[in-house]
Order: sequence, then C-alpha cells, then structure tokens
Amino acid sequence: MNTNNTAAIEKQKRGLGLKASARISNTIIYIILVIMSIIWLIPFVCIVLQSFRCESTWIESYVIPQKWGFDNYKALWNSDFPRWYLNTFIIALVVSAVQTIIVLCMSYTLSRFRFKMRKGLMQFMLILGMFPGMLAMIILYRVLDDLHLTGQYGNAVPGLILVYVASSGMGYYVSKGFFDTIPKSLDEAARVDGANRAQVLNKIILPLAKPIVIYTVLTAFMGPWGDFVFARYVSQMYPQAMNVAVGLQSWLATTTMVHDNYTLFCAGGVVVAIPVAILFMCLQRYYVEGVTGGAVKG
Amino acid sequence: MKKVLATLLSLLMVLTLVAVPWQASAQASSALAGEYDITVWVGESAVDLTKKQIEDFNNTNEFGIKFNAEVHPVSEATSADQMLVDINAGADLYCFAQDQFARLVQAGALNPLGVKAAEAVIEANDPGVVAAATSGETLYAYPMTSDNGYFMYYDKSVIPEEDVDSLEKLIADCEAADKFFAFEAQSSAWYIASWFFATGCKSEWVTDDDGQFISVNDTFNSPEGLIAVKGMKKLLDSPKHLSSSSADEFANGAAIVVTGTWSFEAVKDILGDNMGVTDLPSFEVDGKEYHLGSFNGCKLMGVKPQGEDTVKQAALHKLAQYLTGEQCQMERFEALAWGPANLNAQASPAVQENPGLAALLLQNQYSRPQGQIHGSWWDIAKVIADDVKAATDEAGLQAALDNYYNKMASLFEMTEEEKNAWGVIGAICGTNWDTDFPMTEVEPGIFKSEPLELNAGEEFKVRQGASWDVNYGSDGPNGANVVVAETGTFVVVFDLNAGTITLEAA
Repeated sequence: MNTNNTAAIEKQKRGLGLKASARISNTIIYIILVIMSIIWLIPFVCIVLQSFRCESTWIESYVIPQKWGFDNYKALWNSDFPRWYLNTFIIALVVSAVQTIIVLCMSYTLSRFRFKMRKGLMQFMLILGMFPGMLAMIILYRVLDDLHLTGQYGNAVPGLILVYVASSGMGYYVSKGFFDTIPKSLDEAARVDGANRAQVLNKIILPLAKPIVIYTVLTAFMGPWGDFVFARYVSQMYPQAMNVAVGLQSWLATTTMVHDNYTLFCAGGVVVAIPVAILFMCLQRYYVEGVTGGAVKG
Repeated sequence: MKKVLATLLSLLMVLTLVAVPWQASAQASSALAGEYDITVWVGESAVDLTKKQIEDFNNTNEFGIKFNAEVHPVSEATSADQMLVDINAGADLYCFAQDQFARLVQAGALNPLGVKAAEAVIEANDPGVVAAATSGETLYAYPMTSDNGYFMYYDKSVIPEEDVDSLEKLIADCEAADKFFAFEAQSSAWYIASWFFATGCKSEWVTDDDGQFISVNDTFNSPEGLIAVKGMKKLLDSPKHLSSSSADEFANGAAIVVTGTWSFEAVKDILGDNMGVTDLPSFEVDGKEYHLGSFNGCKLMGVKPQGEDTVKQAALHKLAQYLTGEQCQMERFEALAWGPANLNAQASPAVQENPGLAALLLQNQYSRPQGQIHGSWWDIAKVIADDVKAATDEAGLQAALDNYYNKMASLFEMTEEEKNAWGVIGAICGTNWDTDFPMTEVEPGIFKSEPLELNAGEEFKVRQGASWDVNYGSDGPNGANVVVAETGTFVVVFDLNAGTITLEAA
C-alpha cells in the first residue's frame, strides 16, 4: 500500500461515506424536484378545486372551496359546452387519423424510395416550414369563407379539419428519422419473400415503429384540441361552430362575464384536460421513445 | 246536430276563403312584408330578452315583417373586432360600445339611418348619446343605453360614510385597513381621463361624414393638466393602489373599486349589505378641491349594410328602431338594469330610484359625454399614469404631459405634400371657413381650383397647408378677404409670384 492510497482512505474516514454522500445529494435533488413539481401543479390543483366551488362564481382570494358540489359541471352540461366538446372531438379524431396516415406514408416514402427531386422536395418543405403559419391565416380564411366552410354556413368543423390536415405532410421529420434507423435489409428480405411495398410498410415497418406511430397520433390529436387563433376566426362567433378553446374564452370576454362564469370556466378546463391526460398516461412510455428515438438516431 | 256541425264547418271554410286573401292584401300593403333570416349579436346577458323582443316585433309590427333570428352572445366589447375581421360574416344587427363607433363607420360596417328614423331617434333619446352615434351630420346607429360611465363602489365596513368625498381620506382609510383602492389608472385611458376632466381639461375630436378624424382640441398638456397629474400621483404613490376595475377585487382585499353599472350585481353578490355606491371623490392640490370627472358613454345598435338587398335593409332598420324604442329600453332596464338612453324612460321613477343609476346620475354632473375618439388616443393616453408614477418631481410630471402632447401632435402630422398644397377657403359653397377646396398647380407658380359656384358678396381667401401661416387675400399676403363681385361658376386662379387672385368664368 503506497502513501497516496493511505491518504485517500484517511480522507474518506474523516469525511462522509460514499453511501451517505450519495444519499444527501439525492435528498437535495428530490427536494428541489418536489418543490418544482409543486410549483407546476399549483395552477392545475387550483383549477380543479375552483371547479367544485359552489358558494360563488367569481375569482376568490382563497383556493379551497367552502361549499363543494357538482353545480358547475351540471351547468356545463346545460350550456353550449357539449356542442363545443363534440366539435373539438370530431376535429381532433379525424385529424389525428388522417394526419397519421399522411405523415407515415410520407416518411416511409422519403426514407425508403429514391426518386428524382427527393432531396429538393425535402429542402423545399423545410424552407416552407420556416414561415410562421400565421402568415397564411388571412388568405386561408378568405379561401375557406369562399368555399362556405366557415361558421356562418354551419361548416366550421370540416373547414378546420381541412386546414389542419392540409399541411400535415410537412411534419415528417421525426418519423422519417426513425424509419431510417430500421435496417433496410428487413425490407429487402420481405421483398424477396414476395411482399409488396404496402405490405412491407404495414407488416414490417409499422410494428417496429410503434413508438413513432403513437407519437404522431398524439401530436396530431393535440394540435386541433387546443387550437385557438384560427378556430376563432373560422367560427365567426357562431356558438355552434366553436371549439372548446374559443368557446371557453368567449365566457370570459368581459369582467362581468368573468364574475358570472369563472368557476364554470374552470369546470370546462378540467373536462377538456381529461382525454388528453388519459391519452398521455396510457401512451407516455411510447411518447418519450418516439421523441428521442427519432431525433437522436436520425 | 250533424247538420249544425256541417253548416258550421262550411261556414268556416267560406270564412277562411275570405280571410286568406284579405290577410294577403294586408301584407302586400307593405313593401317590406316577408320573412327574413337574420343574425343578431347582443351581450350574453341580453340574449333571451332580445329573442323575446324580436318575437314581439314579429307579432306586432304593421309591415308584415317576420324575422327568423339567430341571436348570439357576442359582447359589446368584442363585436366590433369581429365585425371588422369580415363584415360579410358579421351579424345583420349588432350591439357595440360607442368607442368602436368611428372605426365601424370608417370600415363601412354601419348603414346610416333614414331621414325619418333619424328624426324620431334624435327626438326620443339623450342628446349625448345621439352625438355618440353621429359622424359629421349623419346618424349611423341606434342608442340602446346611456350608462357607460363609472363611479365608486365601496365597502361600508371599511370606509366611513363621511370620508367618501375626499380622495386623501379614502387613501388613508385604505392604507390603515390594509385594503386596496382599485382604480384602473395604469391600463385604461378611459379612467385616466377622470383626473383631467376634474381640472377642466378637454380632449374633443372632430370627424367628418365618413368617420375620418379631422382635428382635435386637446388641453391635457396645460397648467390644469399639471394639477390633474399631481392629484393622480397621490393615488398612484399609495402602496394600496390597484389598477383594476373588476368588481371581483372586493373578494380579493379591495375596499374601493371604481367601475360602472355593469358591475352592480357582481358587487352586490360579494359585499351584500356592506355595498356602498356613490360618485367619485374630490382631490386637493394647493388648497383647492377638484371633483373627479368621468366619461359618460353608451351602447349602440347598428345595422350591417345589406348591399343590393335594400328591402331587407329597410326591414332591419324597422327592427332596430323597435329594439331601441322606449318599450324595449325599459324592458332591458327592468331585466338587466341597463340605464336607458330614451328620455321618457330616463324620467320614469323606477330608473330614477335604481341605486347604481342614481350614483351614475350623481356623477353625471361632473362627467363628459364620450364623443368620437380617435382609436390611437386610448393607447397614447394610457401611458400617462405610468409616466406619472415614475416621475419624482414636477419636471417629471411635466415631461409625462409633454410626452403625451408630442404623440398627439404626431397623429395629425401632415405629409410634405399636404403642407405645401394650396386651397381656397371661405364662406362659399355652403361652407363657413372650415373647408379647404384643393387647388392644382397648372404651371409653375399658377394654381387653379375646381369650378366653384360662387354668389355675389361671398368672401374667401387662399391659404397653404390648411393653416393660416401662409395666406393671400385681395391685396396680397395676409390681405383682406376676396369678395365675389357677381354670381356664377368660377375657377379661382392664384398667381404665387404676383400674389394675385383672379376669378375665371368656368
């Protein structure tokens, strides 16, 4: 045993043990994490608690209700809210189905096929994607209105579906990156066995790319679920044409309305959050894999 | 029995045969008769009432008009925004707050009233409200309410009644009780104006028939304005000042909230019997008392231009006139406590005794009718309070006013071209020294007007840049008025080099 080693042991004896120091640093990290999660959770907890408050309908200086009940949820049921919810649900469902198909086809094509202008097309879409979507809003609105796909013609839902779906082909980056990581030899083996391209995609690639499929479905669902700006213009303030975000906002347009509707608004917020929360809880595992898988290896 | 029944039935049949053509002829007597599908925007609370009122109109009108109306809740504050996004998608009939009026007129989103309807509306309603719905000489909208003013709500358990007239005492009471004094000074020019009106300042705008702003008479940057900001600073410097006008502040530690009638029910919900309502207090500067002023505004109802469909447009005007008539305004007061603009309704005992409106009435003697105001003013004036709060001495307060003044001046800054343009101005062609008739430069130094119909004895001058800094009369620069010698149509010819003005028969 040389002198250096002895010194190190001496030092360890005088200080804390390895286990103890690890425990302390863990404790500190956990305390910080707990504090951070409390800070993040406070708004949600407040909204949930306010939605059960029955003694008043406005913003109070306390959080915990004095009188609990489901009054707000009952009122919600008797308002325009179910209609908004249905609108949003239809839009989100259709968009997530169609957009997923388009994105997966697009990514598969760009990942596996080699054709003229493939690079050019990808670059073109990359540049297009750099323009903020807001730029196109006015012209899109005019086009939709001329096609009678807006609130005043009772067609806001198909109009919004069209808008959300139309640009979905450009969101192929992450899933193309993921597809690139699946060995081409799998495709080739299947082709040798007599599978056509569609069969390769359905039977070989998609089962392997489950995380990315789920990630695509989730993001496609979330976009229209929370969209406000475009949905508001297309609704043209017709209550039957609104989605939940626009509808809920219309309840808080003035301070008097805040006074009358605040707890109702909170109840609406809670109901809106439910499907998204469930989706995320069930699919969380895949979601993380999908995001990181595509990005790192691509 | 059977026979009787048969006779009765056949009699009924004959009767219907007679009655149907008769009814048809009654309907045909009005050119407006027919069914119309329309959309109506009103504030959320008024939706049910408005549905009922339209139904009443359908049943009682003498023109044979029937409206199938979709009534949507779109608040008076947002309807103009939505209207201007796309007029075609907007409602046929919509309510809006008067501060939106000018831009709606400019955008062509309001169809003016016919002569007869205008006469009836002007006669029946509060002149201040009528002025708010008028641009130039044209009446563009129907007055619905006249209650868009603000006054003071306070918590009786905190504020002693004898203190409500003094701003200084109110601030002291709030600080002593650790309660907020909510006055939306830092984010709303509508409330800031209160201080300037207290000291007699004014900001009055002039618009033409198309809703364009021509000029402003604004005295905020003056010795009186300085007194106003000194008073304002007293409140802004208090740690208990809160810049808000929401009634809900009472639930969150406020003892005083300055807001309007629309908050009445909300305050009552929260304070119950402790609710106090009164006019705004006075503040003291250099030993002199100044009572806080206010804006007095209104809600209006407008008809969207219907393009080719003039029949539907006329029918919509009939409905708008009905919905803003005395009866409907009274119904709105009874159901929603909206203060009527109709003079008869205003005089009714029920309106006089309503506590919220009574406070508004008390404040009204210090208030100014909110005329047409340039959209930019709200943003320009809004920052005064922040500048005043940041100021540390009188020079800083003056700087806040200078800042305001400079921004106002830049609003009407003319282009080089406008500054150099020459025009004819005078008591001619039905104008009275208020309109510049443009002149064009036909050759260097020679300017000609369009042909003008001039009468003998009328007087005019020629000036540059619509101002009197450079002007010519019959005997050169700053000369006497040119007098027209004989009646006829003339082109005014101005020779800049010679400084002469001549009339050329057109």
